[in-house]
Amino acid sequence: MIVAGRQTAFVFLIVTIALFYIFLEMARRGRKIPIRTFPAIAAIPEAIGRCAEMGKPLLYTSGYAMETLSNPDQGPQTLASISILSHVARLAVRAGVKLYYFTCIKDSLPLVEETLRTAYLEEGKPEEFDPLQINYQAGQSPYLNAVMGFMQRERPASNILMGGFYYESVVMGEAGNTIGAMQIAGTANTHQMPFLIATCDYCLIAEELYAASADITKDPWILGCLRGEDIMKLVILVLLIVGFVISFARVPILIDILKR
Amino acid sequence: MSQETIWERLQRIDRRVIYWLLFILLIIPFIRPLGLPVSIGPQTISLLEGLRKLKEGDVVVVNISSGVSAWPECLPSLVAVSKVLIQQKAKIIYWTSFVDGHMTFEKIVEKVPGFKGLKYGVDYVHLGFYTGAEPTVAQLATNIRAIFTTDYKGTPIDQLPIMRGVNSAKDVKMVISSDTGDYGDYYIRQWRIPYGVPFAEIGIAMIFSSYQPYWPEIIFGMTGGAKGGAELEKLIGEPGDATVTMDAINTSHLLVIVAVILANIGYAATRRRR
Amino acid sequence: MAEVVRREAVYALTAIIVVIMMVDFFFTIPAISAIAGELRTWATIISTMALTLGAVNIIRVHSRNVRRRAPGVWYHSAWLIFIFAFVLLLGFTDINNPSSNPVYKWIFDNAYVSLGQTWYAITGFYIASAAYRAFRARNIDAALLLIAGIFVMLMNAPIGEVIWVQIPRIGRWFNDVGQVPAMRTFLIVAAFGLLAFGFRTLLGRERGFYGEVAGG
Repeated sequence: MIVAGRQTAFVFLIVTIALFYIFLEMARRGRKIPIRTFPAIAAIPEAIGRCAEMGKPLLYTSGYAMETLSNPDQGPQTLASISILSHVARLAVRAGVKLYYFTCIKDSLPLVEETLRTAYLEEGKPEEFDPLQINYQAGQSPYLNAVMGFMQRERPASNILMGGFYYESVVMGEAGNTIGAMQIAGTANTHQMPFLIATCDYCLIAEELYAASADITKDPWILGCLRGEDIMKLVILVLLIVGFVISFARVPILIDILKR
Repeated sequence: MSQETIWERLQRIDRRVIYWLLFILLIIPFIRPLGLPVSIGPQTISLLEGLRKLKEGDVVVVNISSGVSAWPECLPSLVAVSKVLIQQKAKIIYWTSFVDGHMTFEKIVEKVPGFKGLKYGVDYVHLGFYTGAEPTVAQLATNIRAIFTTDYKGTPIDQLPIMRGVNSAKDVKMVISSDTGDYGDYYIRQWRIPYGVPFAEIGIAMIFSSYQPYWPEIIFGMTGGAKGGAELEKLIGEPGDATVTMDAINTSHLLVIVAVILANIGYAATRRRR
Repeated sequence: MAEVVRREAVYALTAIIVVIMMVDFFFTIPAISAIAGELRTWATIISTMALTLGAVNIIRVHSRNVRRRAPGVWYHSAWLIFIFAFVLLLGFTDINNPSSNPVYKWIFDNAYVSLGQTWYAITGFYIASAAYRAFRARNIDAALLLIAGIFVMLMNAPIGEVIWVQIPRIGRWFNDVGQVPAMRTFLIVAAFGLLAFGFRTLLGRERGFYGEVAGG
């Protein structure tokens, strides 16, 4: 019944989801799940404060991300970025800082607009929301061009680059440096992490981007999921160690099971 | 105000100076080529070995997920791979997820002399552009005709002899993907793992490290950037564009290394003084 | 009330589609496979249709710049709107195959593609200055990274072998033994992160998906 070669993957998926659910329930019933603070998330108020002090705007962008939410690797990064955007937007509205959002991800536009509109509404300043704070450009190069142009013209005091970045990461990061902006970044794209780490002040790497909302909201549901995730990582680690040890005995049993 | 020392200056070379030096160093090899030897990596060797296993008439899909902007990095490998595929007498189906992919296809045809002896639609074809990322790649694996009804010139797919009996991943002997992004992952997940279609990757240097974890178990061979292209050109004994580009890579890499070392000398000297 | 219904409908629809796609991935059920195939085609179409949203945004932003005569910007915006309309009209001359129009093809091949190439080429310059600024041996970890980085760079350039014949071998060691396991780790943990994120989204705890606001 199950497709050959996917049986173990299916079992892993079920176990993972079960663990998420168990820890989520435990967290919901009041069990404390500690989480370390991400320096990149902790630095967001400082970045917004800097904009307020200097009277300059804040730039937020979520990367090329293959221009669509339907990309399974990039779409979730964009969604995680929008979750962080909602937090950033509220802080920015509270501090009276104008936030400009740049994107080339066409299908994310309604979500971004809704997120910003709600942030202004919840902070009691709905009249200040301007849909034209959201700038869309079709294509990677036009998008990069628009962001670079904005940086040169408006000189934002802080840039937040969160999402599925490609080669634009190093260009934007360096351009942000030339204008002396404080920069916070985050991506799960392994090929761009080195560039963002090199050019930005703070950086969320790999799954930290997905876990950031737990740090922001301290929502027990999200914290429970994180704990489940950690347990699965331990399981993988144990499997790796067992596999490493039994590989010396040339016993292929583990590989055979995992290949099923 | 204290005068800036030479050590401090070494750490703060104006970026425009670096840009100008880089620009000059990129031009020099075009005036006076260096022609240094290229060492060959194991991934490139296994790519060629995999290609050499193909038999006459085997259908190979070449996915072009790199734009014209990535020509310096991906085109040499695409050209070299196409040359080998023609030598193996494979039937080649090109398709692209990039809007400018047709230009890459036309460039490959222009650069590979072997295509002159072949017939379009019989020995090779370009089915054109597809959109929709992984869902589309998954759909291609199950039903090619659900995505492509014509080739890029508008000829109905059923009128193309090469496409007779080619409906899904099960009818394809190998997939090679040229990438600047994630399409290699999609083909691994939707073609290589479920259907066992041998998969090779031609990536830009920036993403080479992202695909390395899959080699050699899942990706049988791969090239990264112009260096990978130059390695493949050397292996097949036909130096091309990538071999020429290697000189520029030499000079540019050397500049970056020298700049980094100078900055660190300056940093170490100022730290010791403090 | 309508807002709640709308939100619940989105949750429900998402959950149904996720279940269908997962069942299709793990099981061989022809009926589900047919539905999943249709859904994938829909995803492609919807993703393409979303371009309209982008077009509307572009026109809104730039027409306002023109109306307000935004200093230093409005004439660029006016040019953008003109080119937008011009290329769109050219595309409509043959709706089935827009690139058959030679002017359309010329603009695409010689303007859009060339500008894209230029941008990508600029990356090299930015990488050079970023490496110069960021690579400092501030502590022992950074020093090790610096040494490994230099060996890997020299491995990627033939000049490394000319400097010292062992450089490619050392660079490859750093690359294969140092870098590949780290990349595998990132892939594995990011996959779990992604799975957890998807699960939370399905439960409605990740607000970005619904355009809501997280606690500030």
